[in-house]
Amino acid sequence: MAVRERSRKAQKFVEKMRKKLNRQMVGSLTACVHCGMCTESCHYVLSNPDDPTYAPAHKADQIRKIFKRNIDWTGRVFPWWVHAQDIRTDQDLETLKDIVFGKCTNCRRCSLNCPMGVDFATLNRMARGLLVSVGVMPEGVAVVSKDQWEVGNQMGVLPQDYLETLEWLSDELETEFKDPAARIPIDKMDAEIVYAINPREVKYDPRTITDAARIFYIAGENWTMPSDGWDMTNFGLFSGDDELGAAVAQRVYDKAIELRGKKLVLSECGHGYRSTRCEGPNWSGNSVPFVIESSVLTMLRYIEEGRIQVDKTRNKEVVTFHDSCNNARSCGFYEEPRELLNLLVTDFREMYPNRVENFCCTGGGGAMSMSEYTPQRLKSAKIKADQLKATGAKTVVTSCHNCVDGLTDVIRHYKLGMKVTQLVNLTANALVISEKVVLKDSIK
Amino acid sequence: MSETLRFVSDDLQLMALGFMAVVYILRIRWLLTFKASRDRQAKSENLSASSFKGIVYSWANVAMPWSMESTRRMSFFYAQFVVFHAAVAANIGMSFVIPYAPGLIKPIVVVRLLQTLFATACAIGCYRMYRRLTNPAIRLISTPDDLFSLALLTLWLFASVFAVQNRPDLGEGPLMVYFIMTAFFLVYVPFSKISHYLYYPFTRFYFGRTMGHRGVYPIKRVSQPKNAAAKG
Repeated sequence: MAVRERSRKAQKFVEKMRKKLNRQMVGSLTACVHCGMCTESCHYVLSNPDDPTYAPAHKADQIRKIFKRNIDWTGRVFPWWVHAQDIRTDQDLETLKDIVFGKCTNCRRCSLNCPMGVDFATLNRMARGLLVSVGVMPEGVAVVSKDQWEVGNQMGVLPQDYLETLEWLSDELETEFKDPAARIPIDKMDAEIVYAINPREVKYDPRTITDAARIFYIAGENWTMPSDGWDMTNFGLFSGDDELGAAVAQRVYDKAIELRGKKLVLSECGHGYRSTRCEGPNWSGNSVPFVIESSVLTMLRYIEEGRIQVDKTRNKEVVTFHDSCNNARSCGFYEEPRELLNLLVTDFREMYPNRVENFCCTGGGGAMSMSEYTPQRLKSAKIKADQLKATGAKTVVTSCHNCVDGLTDVIRHYKLGMKVTQLVNLTANALVISEKVVLKDSIK
Repeated sequence: MSETLRFVSDDLQLMALGFMAVVYILRIRWLLTFKASRDRQAKSENLSASSFKGIVYSWANVAMPWSMESTRRMSFFYAQFVVFHAAVAANIGMSFVIPYAPGLIKPIVVVRLLQTLFATACAIGCYRMYRRLTNPAIRLISTPDDLFSLALLTLWLFASVFAVQNRPDLGEGPLMVYFIMTAFFLVYVPFSKISHYLYYPFTRFYFGRTMGHRGVYPIKRVSQPKNAAAKG
């Protein structure tokens, strides 16, 4: 059925939608029965009870109506009967942009509460990708994507800045341990571990790099950091751009292959872990010829094998643990951080709900880069703030750099007086370092 | 039984059923024209994770109200879902039993049980219509198809309360209405949201396969107090 007056971008959007759809997406688009069971699983809904437009089914319908009008049966013949509606103008695209980027963090909580198995988070990501492909996106998404394409990391950290940072961190480590072996190895061949990080660590939080280096050094690990392909984060996950996702992931894989590393270990980052370990092979269409592991598992293994020793009495504050959505709901990674945390602190209080049912930090899905949506993001964080406050903890631990920023914003906005830290920081703080550090032959 | 009632309860049902089956086959063929994507990720670091477990867990979701926060929190709503769908299934069964095995619903206790089930489900349908029209979020997402489908099913359940007695000698009206509604239902369903049960195996299969492969499914339940932080 011909559609008149569609703008060029809207036309492209619909054409690309036809090509992008896979069976899983079509299932999610057709199976919704509008039961509303997903409604109260969403932190946006719970924090904005008077605004029904935040309901996941309603947000999904803004994508679904286009599918019904252009591709599905009943919607093409009787569109009004099933609320099928075409996308015609650039303003329609802008309206959709504000929904898929501004009203959802792709946390997948609704997907896990849907009786029909509708995966709205995947639909939302698909819509984001289609909008990005026709040049419609929040400015922050454009800027970060450009940085990741051109500079090689999503914070635009230049190569010399990255290497200089590792250089002065190495100087500090060598001074601390009075041992040149404590320096951070760069581009070492045939290492057991190639360690990839989040550019936020270089730009804002280099102590997490130092903490990791300390742990590797004390454990006597044969490790290295790459000189490029070191950014394991991936804005393609947030923007829905599979090409960007594939290119970024492949950059990391290629460097690990070049260095002949046995294992790629990822620093704590929920979306980085999910993108690099889980989604990257799907985007690139290639399997990965080495093991990819979270640094959480690495640290846990070191403790269990006795390669490092920790004293939990060095972390006496009451802590709680926030599950990163990407770790928990998309990768099943929520028990191991707790196993490690219980070895590192004396007083750990679970928040409710937790694990796969935990609420989003509200900074996920690229939300931290989209300043135009900050007011509604912070308003929608109320449920998270209440969750944190109820624990009585002074510190919230998380295993995700994005969540660190998201939670810091929530804590500041709601004046919770808490601090945020990560497992690597707690591990480094709890490290028992003997007077004479014995070096293993493998790292000499 | 008049020839008209015989036609309506037998031939017309078979024609409508045949039509529904053809449309369903075409629908599944259409769904299968879309390529299913793989999950190339290496096995989860959770060694007990498996796609198979995830698929089974996902398919069984409808029978495990404890597995989702939404069904745990809305347990009465879930109970309504069970009764409503049990009534629909019984009703579908009855549409075959009346023409082909009427002896099965001859005992009065069976009739009364079915009438109770259908009447309860009809009341649930009325409540669900009220919810659709008055809850702001549900009203916003409801389409004319949602409302009509619910109304159709509710009225069909109402009609079945009288049809289940299967006494054409006392008047063929209730049976005529019931079977004409059933035939219409069979023709309308493939084009409406009522056909969601056709997609359930597919959506839950793919979601379960991915979630199982990644170690998210089966979800590990840990008892947790609602109002206070628990020692981790």
